[in-house]
Amino acid sequence: MKKSFYLCTVIGLLLMLGLAGCAQEGAGPTGKEEESQAKGEPTKGGTFEVALASEPDTLDWMYISATVTRDVSWHIFETLFALDHDFAIKPMIAEKYETNEEETVYTITLREDVKFHNGAVVTAADVVASVERWRKISSIGQAASEYIDEVVATSDTVLEIRLKEPYNALMDDIAASKSALMIIPAEIAEAANEQPLLPEQIVGTGPYQFESWDRGKEIVLSHFEEYSSRTETDWGGLTGEKVAYYDELKFLIVKDPQVRMNGLKTGLYDYAENISPDLYEVLESSPNIDRVTYMNGYSTITPNKAKAPFDDLKVRQALNHALDKKTIAEATYGNEAFYSLDGALFAPEQTELYSEEGTDQYLAYDPEKAKSLLADSNYNGEPITIMFSNDNENYKKIAQVAKQQMEEVGFKVELDPYEWGTYLERWLEPENWDLVVIGWSTRFSPNELGLLVLDTARSGWYDSDRWAEAIERWGAARSSEERKEILTEMNHTVNDELPFFKVVNETRLDIKSDKVTYDSWLGQRHWNTWKSE
Amino acid sequence: MLQYTIRRLLSLVPVMLIVSIIVFMIVHLTPGNPAFLILGEDASAESVAQLEQQLGLDKPIVVQFFDWLKNIVTGDLGQSVYSSEQVKTIIASHIGPTFSVTLLAIFIILLIAIPVALFAVWQRKTLLDPIFISVSLLGVSIPEFWFAMLLVLGFAVTIPIFPVAGYIPFAEGWFEWLYHLILPAFVLAAVEIGLVARMLRDGMLEAVNQDYTRTARAKGIRESVVLMKHVFSNALIPTATVIGVMIAGLLGGAIIIETMFTIPGMGSLLIDSIHRRDYPVIQGVILFIAAIYVLVNLCVDLLYAFLDPRIRYD
Repeated sequence: MKKSFYLCTVIGLLLMLGLAGCAQEGAGPTGKEEESQAKGEPTKGGTFEVALASEPDTLDWMYISATVTRDVSWHIFETLFALDHDFAIKPMIAEKYETNEEETVYTITLREDVKFHNGAVVTAADVVASVERWRKISSIGQAASEYIDEVVATSDTVLEIRLKEPYNALMDDIAASKSALMIIPAEIAEAANEQPLLPEQIVGTGPYQFESWDRGKEIVLSHFEEYSSRTETDWGGLTGEKVAYYDELKFLIVKDPQVRMNGLKTGLYDYAENISPDLYEVLESSPNIDRVTYMNGYSTITPNKAKAPFDDLKVRQALNHALDKKTIAEATYGNEAFYSLDGALFAPEQTELYSEEGTDQYLAYDPEKAKSLLADSNYNGEPITIMFSNDNENYKKIAQVAKQQMEEVGFKVELDPYEWGTYLERWLEPENWDLVVIGWSTRFSPNELGLLVLDTARSGWYDSDRWAEAIERWGAARSSEERKEILTEMNHTVNDELPFFKVVNETRLDIKSDKVTYDSWLGQRHWNTWKSE
Repeated sequence: MLQYTIRRLLSLVPVMLIVSIIVFMIVHLTPGNPAFLILGEDASAESVAQLEQQLGLDKPIVVQFFDWLKNIVTGDLGQSVYSSEQVKTIIASHIGPTFSVTLLAIFIILLIAIPVALFAVWQRKTLLDPIFISVSLLGVSIPEFWFAMLLVLGFAVTIPIFPVAGYIPFAEGWFEWLYHLILPAFVLAAVEIGLVARMLRDGMLEAVNQDYTRTARAKGIRESVVLMKHVFSNALIPTATVIGVMIAGLLGGAIIIETMFTIPGMGSLLIDSIHRRDYPVIQGVILFIAAIYVLVNLCVDLLYAFLDPRIRYD
């Protein structure tokens, strides 16, 4: 009796498996013959599923500068001014701005009838409350706040930002795409104040609105019917016309890179972020996967200038000559599509900020010179600690190769890897490290260069009157010629004082289904893109 | 029996107290700080200090411990540092997936291990016995992550029968729920099948030559009935112990499988909270797992009396 019961159960389960198989074949990814369909005509509707590599801590784009927060939040929130496709500042929620002659009062006029997801129209009072919150909680807003005297709404659609002294980087700060000055309803800005926004407070003006967040699993956004789009079709980036083609945008949390790739392959996801560069060539031969690459800041080695031996410029110079960045890059990133050797503080795509001039010490590999500089310096053979976060494969490889190269010229080196949380804490104390390896995401103004903020752990306790002066001049600069000249001076300063050693510009790899029409920029944006069936 | 159960339940109190002290110490002595982790590398020292104050992390550790303990006693596990959600709510939302995959894994284990053990004992004098048992032990020797990758590659990517990953709650359809859980449950089961099968087989082999078995055979009862009724039921007690520990372990979450199949269960909740230093959630989850261990063991002990009427707890 019992035996036959087991037999029945086994057969039953097998049948169920079979059924499951059939169901999948029917409902699964569409067949290959459909791939050749034209992508030209935009199609509306459907759900677009994105595999995120990590879960954001909050969707409050103003509160933190994390890339994953930014990449989800800029579908929901918008700023007064924003970067276009060429990283130039263009109006977004604002219509225009003008300044008085002394450049101490910025008068910003808002577009009329821009609606929040709760149906209310954006008024100058909302903007004032958002700016006030930004001054308190955003790392960029806090810096800008030093120059701001007061922010006043003069009518429903006009506000004035009154400055204590001219500060020409104000527009950069207002348009920054991290810790952003996103516009939220005044009552929410006041209620949230210095706390991150709660899920029910996630109300913006963007083409998608927040629906739900199932922690550990997914974030769901939906198409905002009453979105007040701009009309400029050629701006791109974060501004201009934005059309939300999908009914629903689902960000799924998929931590395993192999799962993200397999999921895309089998049609489970439409877009998957952060794929290992090792797979770049494998992906070339995958029939229904397209690669999406974009700039992702740069990797650096930062010396601790608060103590010996790297407080001595000669030791830093010796290190600069000891590092063969080409070898480091090849060993770390492999494929040349994923890095570029460039010593500038900004990326070549950022035409307004990019200056190559004054970066000739970037590639200065010369072991003999390194040895003689080291011999002349205060370095007395004490072990150098390279600290890095072992959560990131690239930092680990950079540290390993750098160690080897440093030992060749006479440094004694120890590697000191930590898990990210521990790393962040240890970073703050000068006794804990001599060198750190870390990457910095793309920035859009010298003020945002976290790795050069004087006298902080991030900059390795950099102390420089020359850099302070350059930053001050940047705030007061009026013309783009003047700015170019300052940027060159900044390059020279970094070149001469070596507060950090830039390794290479990094490129990030995402993948998408070939049915998706997509325009790569900086991070993923899923407006103006659609999926052909 | 009732008295025994109450006594055992009361023993939960000191166990939980000891666990909570140990967990609290370990969690708070680990380097790292949620404030840095939330605000990231761009944060200013003032923002970090301000957030620490908001989170109550600037208070002395002893004060923090007693604050927390006071809340625990009143049944309040606290709030997540990240989402401000109640820890209770967070655990409740993650137990569903873990419970589902555990249930299915145990079902698969029993479904395969019992027939294998029975068959092995029935064929104990032939070569089939060692062969069956060795094959079922294969699962124990295969690393979980590797087996999971193989299964996904074979049955989700190359031959797309099953989904690569994902979890659908039971409430959204039992079929989708089952369909998404089969691969992960099978991987979890594969590791344990051999263990249970071996346990059962050894227990049965011991019983197979006992006097009462011989008497049963002498009465002319068919061998299959002897095996089921007299041999099998006597092998259940040690097996129940093994399965009990297994269930408790699985309910605590299976980190590797949950990551590889993106199942939002207890394992991934715990590991994420550790990475984020989300102290209240880590403490809540570990207390919850400790409670599960105690309760499952209690259930197993009570089950003994049911499986073997000779056992009495009074």
